[in-house]
Amino acid sequence: MTEAIITIEDAQSPSPDKILKIVHISGQLDESNIDEKIQEIYKVLEANPKGLNLIFDMENLEYMNSKSIGYLTDLYGKVTEANGQVAIAKAKNNILDILQVVGLTQLIKTFDSTDEAKNYITAATPASAPATMPTEQAASAPTPAPTPAPTPEPTPEPTPAPAPAPAPAPAPTPEPTPTPAPAPDPNQTGGTFNINQ
Amino acid sequence: MEQIPEKTKITITLPTNAYFMSGIRDFTLTMIKNTTNFSEKWAFRFQSVVDELCNNAIEYGSSPGSDIRISFNHVKDQYLEITVEDTGAGTNKINAAQLQKIFNERKEPGYVFTGIRGRGLVKIIGEWTDEIKFVDRPEGGIAVTVKKYLKDARQAETLPIPNNNTLFLNNL
Repeated sequence: MTEAIITIEDAQSPSPDKILKIVHISGQLDESNIDEKIQEIYKVLEANPKGLNLIFDMENLEYMNSKSIGYLTDLYGKVTEANGQVAIAKAKNNILDILQVVGLTQLIKTFDSTDEAKNYITAATPASAPATMPTEQAASAPTPAPTPAPTPEPTPEPTPAPAPAPAPAPAPTPEPTPTPAPAPDPNQTGGTFNINQ
Repeated sequence: MEQIPEKTKITITLPTNAYFMSGIRDFTLTMIKNTTNFSEKWAFRFQSVVDELCNNAIEYGSSPGSDIRISFNHVKDQYLEITVEDTGAGTNKINAAQLQKIFNERKEPGYVFTGIRGRGLVKIIGEWTDEIKFVDRPEGGIAVTVKKYLKDARQAETLPIPNNNTLFLNNL
């Protein structure tokens, strides 16, 4: 199993009705360990069904796969449905890149430091009506709280399995644009003449 | 320091077990950094692409005890092509046409991902490669081949694009 460590730290709550936990993740989250490791976070969620706010400290996270991102999306849905907030702090560039390409940075704010993330959590109003939530989140925030942690294989949507029917009348999902528009090809620049030809 | 070879082909066969994927990811990252013209950013991206392709093959294409095969085919200054083949011995096996159909459906802009799984094929593999091809292997199983052109990768990062011409003059 690939090494990954998840530790959960209690942080000073921004208000009496809020609980703030910092989830420190280090190592690599992949197919060999994610189903087991993620349970630690679901246990916290189960113990704090209301008012939980989570900051994911990803400073020492080196790799995460698509299933890890699926779990993160699910956690975001459950926490925000219970009027909590979720933020990501100190993620490396390669982690931010993958979060962006799957669209998660449209849902979860990312910060360069845990202090900035704390300030955001403190200032944020309860996310009871995430009006700007993209389509994916609307569907990904599964059932509300009574169900705690998903089983290690939570009714998977296996990649090669027949695709489920899309949700009825989904709003256009703003897809991330992971790469900027191509720069002009210098070879195609008008008004040039190649003397080698 | 040795120069990057014009053409490089590396093939790795590994058992159907996610345990080995950490090593494959390390190898992918190092190999792309050291033996291709792709930037570090793309080395990390290919690391994810390979991981997702292999996880797919391990979980659905090959049964425990069988193998999957990864081939890296790099042509200097042109492209990197990666193929992952499974044996088709897995219990959830499907054919190339079915996998292509799934890919196309999930690529639609309005498609909603509702589960924990399913983002890797389209959101990571699809977004970070220029071409993707699903082929049934005569021996059984599927070969998934992805290709990324270096020129596109450099354009995406607004890096200078290598120019084989030595001099340009303004054309009046």
